[in-house]
Amino acid sequence: MISSLQRIIVIGRNTLTEAVRQKVLNVLLIFAVVLVSCSVFISQLATPGLDPAGLFDEQIKFVKDFGCGAIGFFGFFIALLSTALLIPQELHNRTIYTILAKPVRRSEFLLGKFFGIILLLALCISLMSLAFVVTLYVQEQVGLGVVDSTYERMGDWKNNPHIVAMHDHDAAIIISQVRDPQLVEAVVLLFAKIVMTAAIALLISTFATSWIFTVITTFMIYLIAHAEGLARTFWLSQGAESTIWQSALVGLISMLIPDMNSFTIVDEILAGNHIPWSHALNLLAYANIYVIVLLAVSIVIFDYREI
Amino acid sequence: MGAITKIRTMESSAVTAPTLAVETIGLTKRYPLTWKRKVLVALDSLNLQVKQGEVFGLLGPNGSGKSTTLKLLLGLIVASEGEARVFGLPPDSLDARRRVGFLPENPYFYAFLNGDETLRFYGKLCGVTGAKLDKRIEELIDLVGLQNGRERPLRSYSKGMLQRIGLAQALIHDPDLLFLDEPTAGVDPLGSAQIRDLILRLKKMGKTVIFSSHLLEQVQEVADRVAIFSLGKKVLEGSLESLLTENQSTQVLIPAEMNAEQQDRLRQFIARDGVDAQAIRFTRPHLSLEQLYLRTVQAQPDAAKDSPKP
Repeated sequence: MISSLQRIIVIGRNTLTEAVRQKVLNVLLIFAVVLVSCSVFISQLATPGLDPAGLFDEQIKFVKDFGCGAIGFFGFFIALLSTALLIPQELHNRTIYTILAKPVRRSEFLLGKFFGIILLLALCISLMSLAFVVTLYVQEQVGLGVVDSTYERMGDWKNNPHIVAMHDHDAAIIISQVRDPQLVEAVVLLFAKIVMTAAIALLISTFATSWIFTVITTFMIYLIAHAEGLARTFWLSQGAESTIWQSALVGLISMLIPDMNSFTIVDEILAGNHIPWSHALNLLAYANIYVIVLLAVSIVIFDYREI
Repeated sequence: MGAITKIRTMESSAVTAPTLAVETIGLTKRYPLTWKRKVLVALDSLNLQVKQGEVFGLLGPNGSGKSTTLKLLLGLIVASEGEARVFGLPPDSLDARRRVGFLPENPYFYAFLNGDETLRFYGKLCGVTGAKLDKRIEELIDLVGLQNGRERPLRSYSKGMLQRIGLAQALIHDPDLLFLDEPTAGVDPLGSAQIRDLILRLKKMGKTVIFSSHLLEQVQEVADRVAIFSLGKKVLEGSLESLLTENQSTQVLIPAEMNAEQQDRLRQFIARDGVDAQAIRFTRPHLSLEQLYLRTVQAQPDAAKDSPKP
């Protein structure tokens, strides 16, 4: 059991090393450039006015939206491509033969590879989040500077408790918008969704004969996984009007394909609505179970595959 | 009394009976070609026994079933029919694979790892760790002569170096049985002679080696026994001695200076004992091209140096 775990870890670390040395992380430079340009662009649109706090509130909200969107987008593509290429690359380079000829079970090989992808995604998302936090901090400092300079124009405002209170209120709006603990919740949920995508791609790649098939199919499932919740709400809410076939179809799809639409609560978080951690944890548990089921099916299929 | 004798006989037969490293019974692999509605028989009812400590050569043209045999013996693919045993164990069991090392045909490995990291990775997979692994890596780098490749990524390795790191990874867990699929394919003659010498050293260490090759002369130099495959079937098997000796004639080496008259007298002398004088021929023995090449190249002072890719 322990040696089995050790083999999984050895394969996982090797997978991460491979991705890093093949410069997958360079993709994140594009992320950083896009994020910084966006935030500079949005700052230039803003002109100091009567309501600096309101202005920066909107501005920071936009950067948050954009940042989380970009983390999700880049994470999705890194997960999709690196997972879809895992097994085809091993087969093409014949490295899989050298590994499976050693005392390594096929399940350990597959779990090790997936573990490597999770490490890679965790690393990527941590680095992107770091860039995101730095960008937000810069926005906060710029915002507070603009608030200060707006009040400076009112002359000796620091001796007027009423205006000081107004200033502090404005500053607090900006700070609370930036230092939003719910952002952690949003990033964790994005990570869970990206890992689910990787697990779907892994399952497909265990029987696919080309990585392009894996990429396209995973992408289709990803789309269906988002539309499925909407379809269910639409058809099932019609009650008696929905035919038994419609209900069966929706039921079947929701069994086979995860419901990723639930993860749109990230948008709720970004819109400033409070989403309790208990709700996020429920979603994490759902993602967890789904990933475990997908891995189990992948192992069974991979065990029978001729290599 | 009778019972005691019986037990003694059983004991002695257990000691003298050679233990088999590999045994296959009716081993068959078929691939259904659905779109052509045909079945490709990659390997057809192979019966094979390889004893421990033997060097066994698998010969045959491309697609004759050599690689399929090796893959079946490693548990990488599942037999359609028949059975294979490695040290008496099913080939896909972890216990069997703990005793087996494998060098695939044209191995690539992880191009981003260097020589040391590659051996470390495979060693850890086999449960070799810590100081034991360090020591083993030193030994193997020495054994295959890859001191100049320890720090270099494998993507900069020459074909010969890749083959040698491949051999080293196959040996990392000190297996008793080695499967080498075309170990000298694409390697220059000097490199392939080094691999040949390595196989002989492994044999001296008591390892069993099963390898496939197209280079017949090389096989001849190292193998105890060979099997020749064609179209998925084993068509010939035996020891090289028995397969290659032409029992109809005997070769006598005499000095080259012997002139025609002397040759004629010798012929008449032999013919006296009733041998057909017409069957006696005088020819010069030939060197093989490989022997000539190796003699010439090894005479050069820098012959042992490996020539990596630019």
